[in-house]
Amino acid sequence: MNLHFADYLVIFIYFVFVVAVGVIIKKKITSSNDFLNSNKSIPLWITSLAFISANLGAQEVLGMVASGAKYGIMTVHFYWVGAIFAMVFLGVFMMPFYYGSKARSVPEYLFLRFDEKTRALNALTFAAMTIFSSGISLYALAKLLEVILHWNFDLCIWIAAGIVMAYTLLGGLTSAVYNEVLQFFLIVLGLSPLVIVALQDAGGWDTIKTNLEPQLTHAWKYMGDADANPMGIHFMSLIFGLGFVMSFGYWCTDFLVVQRAMIAKNMSAAQRTPIIAAIPKMFMPLIVVLPGVIAIALTKSALDSGDYRIPTDAAGGYDYTMTLPSLIAHYYPSGLLGVGITALIASFMSGMAGNVTAFNAVFTYDIYQAYFFKNKSDKHYLNVGKLVTLFGILFSIGTAYIAASFNNINDFLQLVFSFVNGPLFATFLLGMFWKRTTGHGAFWGLVAGTLAAAITHGLTIAEGKGGWISPIYPISSGMGQAFIVASFSWIANFFTTIAVSLVTKPKPDEELRGLVYSLTEKVYGTEKRWYLKPAPLGIILLIITILLNIIFF
Amino acid sequence: MSEKLNQLSFIIGVFFILVALVLLIGYATTTTLKHGINLYSGMAMMVFGLVMVRLKA
Repeated sequence: MNLHFADYLVIFIYFVFVVAVGVIIKKKITSSNDFLNSNKSIPLWITSLAFISANLGAQEVLGMVASGAKYGIMTVHFYWVGAIFAMVFLGVFMMPFYYGSKARSVPEYLFLRFDEKTRALNALTFAAMTIFSSGISLYALAKLLEVILHWNFDLCIWIAAGIVMAYTLLGGLTSAVYNEVLQFFLIVLGLSPLVIVALQDAGGWDTIKTNLEPQLTHAWKYMGDADANPMGIHFMSLIFGLGFVMSFGYWCTDFLVVQRAMIAKNMSAAQRTPIIAAIPKMFMPLIVVLPGVIAIALTKSALDSGDYRIPTDAAGGYDYTMTLPSLIAHYYPSGLLGVGITALIASFMSGMAGNVTAFNAVFTYDIYQAYFFKNKSDKHYLNVGKLVTLFGILFSIGTAYIAASFNNINDFLQLVFSFVNGPLFATFLLGMFWKRTTGHGAFWGLVAGTLAAAITHGLTIAEGKGGWISPIYPISSGMGQAFIVASFSWIANFFTTIAVSLVTKPKPDEELRGLVYSLTEKVYGTEKRWYLKPAPLGIILLIITILLNIIFF
Repeated sequence: MSEKLNQLSFIIGVFFILVALVLLIGYATTTTLKHGINLYSGMAMMVFGLVMVRLKA
């Protein structure tokens, strides 16, 4: 892939704009709240697009296109099963507690609802995970640019980290959020032409359906038997593992995404943020799953008229990760090629910035202020927030080089991340809807859930991974293994939390008002018009989601 | 103008107008960029950019 002047110009314009956004926003940053929490002043359309963009890093974009090529249309389950329902649940039921409690972060909510040790456990694991995720984004960006453009790996790391540092240090969370929105439009407008030309080249959707195995073009039809579908999972595992545990665990408890809703102007906007975000999320498979399905269709011999092929790896198998870059290289001429590459760079950098801004809020509020210096001036916390951003970026660079030294560190960290996130939703579900849940119950439930995840992983093996205790239960795909690990961790957390809570003393009701459903006055919103209310909006979205599942059954 | 610069929709609009100009001017003046997909994408980005610039806060 060779870039020309026009391509470099597009990339340059993007870099100038992201830094300019930071410079413009810098004038508004006068307090730690401005820097770390955007002073809860961001309009609804921006919080909504930032909400889904926080989950639209290049690893997700490349990963979903790769999954589209590997598993076919079943990949839409990550959207129509694994996202929309959780996003609506977050908006309708959980945001009133996050926003209404005045907590500045998810760990702080855990402190208010439970106790200090539960907050500490969540804050420390989350802070570590965000730094590693940020570093892996940086590593993946540099590696991709090295492979497809033959750019220098070290230079890519330092330039990308330098630009992210410039705009996050200047404008804090607002700057990161604004750039996430720019990235969203860049991905949609930058990749839409690719979908159109590739689909045309493949002969349209009907031709693809005719030429591909039916397992790759149906979302549900072959899920009654785990051996009959490319993901190798039964629909019950999918619904419980992905649709409930992993999906709700991520969308409803991960501070990286929840933070985008917590910075909305008011409760109504905070509740509608994930719900409005669910609208573009519902249609994202057109941009990030469909290209993968088209790529595998073009690669199959039945559609041999074109010359596109998914690249192969050293072992001769398809290198699915390279599906999107190879489609861009094949279909985009100079000019639009620059836009496509910029979209990839933007999503990597945005993924990194999102992690760093979530890290600095959690570190400053839930570790530094909570345990080291409680009663300092606001200016002190503003400076600490900036310093933490700087160190966050430097740690990310360090992590990127660690990732470069280990072949499987990404897999390992994703696994650890699922160990930590998988059980978390049980803690929130019980904490928000069962007032008897205690701090000890929440803490030991989280510990038990994480241990259960590790043990399940050690006893199952899929695609050569896991089975480190004893590989007694083989699973045909890594994806299926992840769902089963998450399910066991959730169940272990749920029942341990209940058991420990029943034998320990709960907080008095007065301390739980505004934090638990049964003790919180129900506020049905100040919005008069039905289409501005979260519940009716959510119901409409759920109906459309069910219809989409039926159409692609 | 300074008020406009504080509007994200304006910034995004200007960004896409500039990218569209690169594609459209490149299409009109160079052989390297003379591809239909650059023209159509440039036009779509120009329309999107103008709409975003015109949006009120």
